[in-house]
Amino acid sequence: MSPRPPRRDYWNEPTLGWWERAYIFEIIRGLLTTNRVFWRNMGRWMTGRKGAVTSYYPEERRPDYARGNRGKHVLTQRPDGRPQCIACNMCATVCPAHCIEIEAGFDIEDTTHPKYPEAFAIDYARCIFCGFCVEACPEDAIRMVPDVPNLPGSDRHNMWLDKEHLMTWNPQQDVAKPYPPKGGLQK
Amino acid sequence: MPGIVIDGRELEAEGGQTVMQVALAHDIPIPAFCWHPALSIAGNCRVCMVEVEGRGLALACNLPIYDGLKVHTDTEAVRNQRKLTLQFLTLNHPVDCGICDKAGECLLQDYHYAHNGSPSTSIDPKVHATKHYSLGSRIVLDNERCILCSRCVRFTREVSGSNVLGIKHRGDTSLVRPAEGRSLDDDPYSDNVIDICPVGALLSRAFLHQSRVWYLTTTPSVCPGCARGCTIDVWHRKPEWRLQAVATHRNHTIARVTPHENPAVNGPWICNKGRDLAALVERPRALEPMVKGEVVAMDQALEAARQAIAGAQRPLALVSSWGSNEELDAFKEHLAPRFSCAVKEDHRQQPNEPGDDHLLLRADKNPNTTRARALFGETPAAVPEGTDLVLVWGEGFDFDTIPDGVATIVLGAFDAPENGLAAVFVPLSIHTERAGHFTNFEGVVSAFAPCFPPPATVADAETVFPQLAPQGATS
Repeated sequence: MSPRPPRRDYWNEPTLGWWERAYIFEIIRGLLTTNRVFWRNMGRWMTGRKGAVTSYYPEERRPDYARGNRGKHVLTQRPDGRPQCIACNMCATVCPAHCIEIEAGFDIEDTTHPKYPEAFAIDYARCIFCGFCVEACPEDAIRMVPDVPNLPGSDRHNMWLDKEHLMTWNPQQDVAKPYPPKGGLQK
Repeated sequence: MPGIVIDGRELEAEGGQTVMQVALAHDIPIPAFCWHPALSIAGNCRVCMVEVEGRGLALACNLPIYDGLKVHTDTEAVRNQRKLTLQFLTLNHPVDCGICDKAGECLLQDYHYAHNGSPSTSIDPKVHATKHYSLGSRIVLDNERCILCSRCVRFTREVSGSNVLGIKHRGDTSLVRPAEGRSLDDDPYSDNVIDICPVGALLSRAFLHQSRVWYLTTTPSVCPGCARGCTIDVWHRKPEWRLQAVATHRNHTIARVTPHENPAVNGPWICNKGRDLAALVERPRALEPMVKGEVVAMDQALEAARQAIAGAQRPLALVSSWGSNEELDAFKEHLAPRFSCAVKEDHRQQPNEPGDDHLLLRADKNPNTTRARALFGETPAAVPEGTDLVLVWGEGFDFDTIPDGVATIVLGAFDAPENGLAAVFVPLSIHTERAGHFTNFEGVVSAFAPCFPPPATVADAETVFPQLAPQGATS
């Protein structure tokens, strides 16, 4: 075993006076703080108001996400509800975390979009939310919205969102960037 | 021997060569779409223009060298000409690289970035042509992407000899089409046109949208489909692009097979059977060692086999013609003294399969018959009278020819009903899971390397044979 490193002095090293060293008084002060907050929240809760600033995640989302928050991916849809994605794998290729996986399908009947994603999955355990996928997409098929992936869990290998989850976004709600765009979709 | 100067370098060349051939031999890059080293000169893409001192621009692919010829490949005039040519070639190209399987290994893409770089200056709408035109069960043609270089047409005329493809109509309505009543299915070498197509016009149905090529890497291998033993590149997924959630079978399956250029064996071509290597090796596997149908550990199976061999009076061994040189040598060294040996044909020519032909295909559908016959003689595979043990290595043996009551030891890689009936069954690794060499029918030895790790429960034949030898017999 290597010897323990010498103890370092920190700039915010607490210094204890005789009052703190007496221990019992500071403990009582701390417990009073805990009690005060507890009874205040209990009182509010019993009178039907919400206590503290706790969000009941995941049942409840915080309403105060920043406007620039980009916490979740969405796949845009063509007017008929199929994904705009053409499975070109640009997002998967550019992704620095290698967390996007796409399985391409081929539909010879669909002459304008014969290649489509049969499966599309993003691993939120590895995603670093850099937004490169959005930049790389030639079809405006993947975007990021102020939301969270909503994946509470204890298994890091099970943090994948599949195509069905990524296509639940209702594009009409995004007024700043409507979809389909105002000029119509380019052929 | 004429002397020729390219870009100020004095180069030695042979009479009859063209500027393109001399430049290629000295690693001087000249772009070319229609020119291919194994095909005749068409001179229709016009992208290989070079400047000849005193003569102006000329086609490098079609210009025979002569004494005192001075060529420049990178002057202002040449660069401008290349740019204009590429503008012209992309005039009606749909530029749908995002959904094109050729993207990443496309000459048009590469040359566009190297020599053009600017978007189309044309204001006319693009001419639309047929997408996904079927050229048989293996290939689809996208006429919009085609730049009419005619490589595929010349391939079917000059190399495969099937004369299936041609170009019909004129100008920007020209289309590559099969001849009346013909299909590329008639051509056992048809898939080579996919490789030589400089753009994504000819696409393999088997590989269509299966993977982007930059996710794949190659392992040099040898095709076991016939006695020719063509050197091939087996394409499989790069480890850093291993899939975790979607289509994970792609991590350990062959994505595609392309020829590995080898003048001694196959030149730049392989046949369609070689492309379908996955169908040959990705069959249901036999993974568990068995003694009389009961699954046991590998040690127990080998011990049971060793005892059976040691106790047999007149054992017969049927040697696989799919074994590598190393495995056959190991068999010769450790087991051949104990057995009377015969070489077995693991795969036979199917009724609909072509036999010997003018290009590559051989009627013998086993990769290493030459080496096996050299070691174990020409003995035909028939069970002689009085045999009390038969060791069958590989497939293709008709177990009905064994008399009742004769014990069998089976060493094989694939699932078969006989495996469970054998006294001992030992599962082996397959050709894409081990390294080795095959000797082809002309005696040329080619090496293959493992593409995938073998399953944990199977063994390499090369390590099994020393363990089967009776104790003290060989050591």
